[in-house]
Amino acid sequence: MIEIDSKSISRKEFITVDFFYKLAKTVGKLELLSKNADLDKKISDHNLHRPGLALAGFVDLFSYKRVQVFGNTEIWYLTQLPEDKQKKSLETIFKFDIPCIILSNNIKPLPALLQLADEYRVPLFNSPHSTTKLIYLMSDFLDDQFSQRITLHGSFTDVYGVGICFVGKSGIGKSEVALDLIERGHRLVADDVIILTKKGEGILIGSGTEITKHCMEIRGLGIIDVERIFGIRAIRYQKRLEILVELEIWDASENYTRTGLDESTVTISEVELPYIKLPILPGKNITVISEVIALNYLLKHYGYDAAKIFQNKLSEQIKGKNTDTQRSTNYFEHDFE
Amino acid sequence: MIEKKIRIKNSAGLHTRPAATIVKMAAKYKCDFFISRNGMNINGKSIIGVMTLAAEEGSELVLTFEGDDEEVAAKEIVDFFERGFDEL
Repeated sequence: MIEIDSKSISRKEFITVDFFYKLAKTVGKLELLSKNADLDKKISDHNLHRPGLALAGFVDLFSYKRVQVFGNTEIWYLTQLPEDKQKKSLETIFKFDIPCIILSNNIKPLPALLQLADEYRVPLFNSPHSTTKLIYLMSDFLDDQFSQRITLHGSFTDVYGVGICFVGKSGIGKSEVALDLIERGHRLVADDVIILTKKGEGILIGSGTEITKHCMEIRGLGIIDVERIFGIRAIRYQKRLEILVELEIWDASENYTRTGLDESTVTISEVELPYIKLPILPGKNITVISEVIALNYLLKHYGYDAAKIFQNKLSEQIKGKNTDTQRSTNYFEHDFE
Repeated sequence: MIEKKIRIKNSAGLHTRPAATIVKMAAKYKCDFFISRNGMNINGKSIIGVMTLAAEEGSELVLTFEGDDEEVAAKEIVDFFERGFDEL
């Protein structure tokens, strides 16, 4: 059974506002309004905050480290205040080291807000999205940035749309299996170094690293570029991890599953995945077996479990006390189909 | 299990030539060999893995050896790191 070392798990401590702006600009339709902004400010929390109460003066539990979102409520509250109080109210939050402020609904920033943002060098953005949508989109982006990342040694492929990751000792032939699968029309996600990112609850998304992309090492050949050799159809950049297959040299003492009723699972970062231990034997075509693994997984997913159905048939026959082995066709009329 | 913290000493860093030497050294031994850096833990027997680290001069790595011949493996590999991949 594979184990994930704690050294393989990481989580970002912070991202800079600059990084956030570059990557979330398109999805959040963000526009930088302030002229004198310190984009090196750090965002260290994946949640967002609406500072309504802080503007009203209650700052005891003010989550100032979060990205602050000003919606209609905040702006409306500020607009109805006399000018001096407006500035004072805004200053209560600017006194904290807030990373940045986003205005939703394309709200025009109040002059006092623009002025203070420049004075405290806090980046001020606006977005045409409604507050709810903006919070949803930005939370999704930040959740991804601050989620757990796990590095895994193996080959990750998409077989008939099922994300199968091959793990096992170095030199056992993981890359060769992946290469064979590519040749048969399946797609490579990553080889050797796979980065798994937890997305939401119960989903792990795998991808390769920026430096290796879709390069692969084949013993005796060296490094090859799968995308260049096989083209765009042979690769993909990300895929949900659905099955973990461990390749190992056949071990007579090991108890390999024979019926498929006793499903094993492996838990990676609190996500439970089907786990298959596959012994390597002469004459055993791992590639074809991998395709069957994927297809069987799809069948199970759509409600057909061959092992269970076989088991039920057997129980029925035993219950009916019909112990004669029945031929699948009772009477062969002629040599017809 | 043997765990060793080391620092890259040569100015070119852990580039292709030393990476290839390291995986060749590691492949001789039965023990598992992992190198970790900033939450990346890669298999030291994989050339692509070792190159992914892109470890520059001065960067700190943790080497982990686990298995029957861990001591001999650790000695040879750690020594190669200490010598700055013979590029000092």
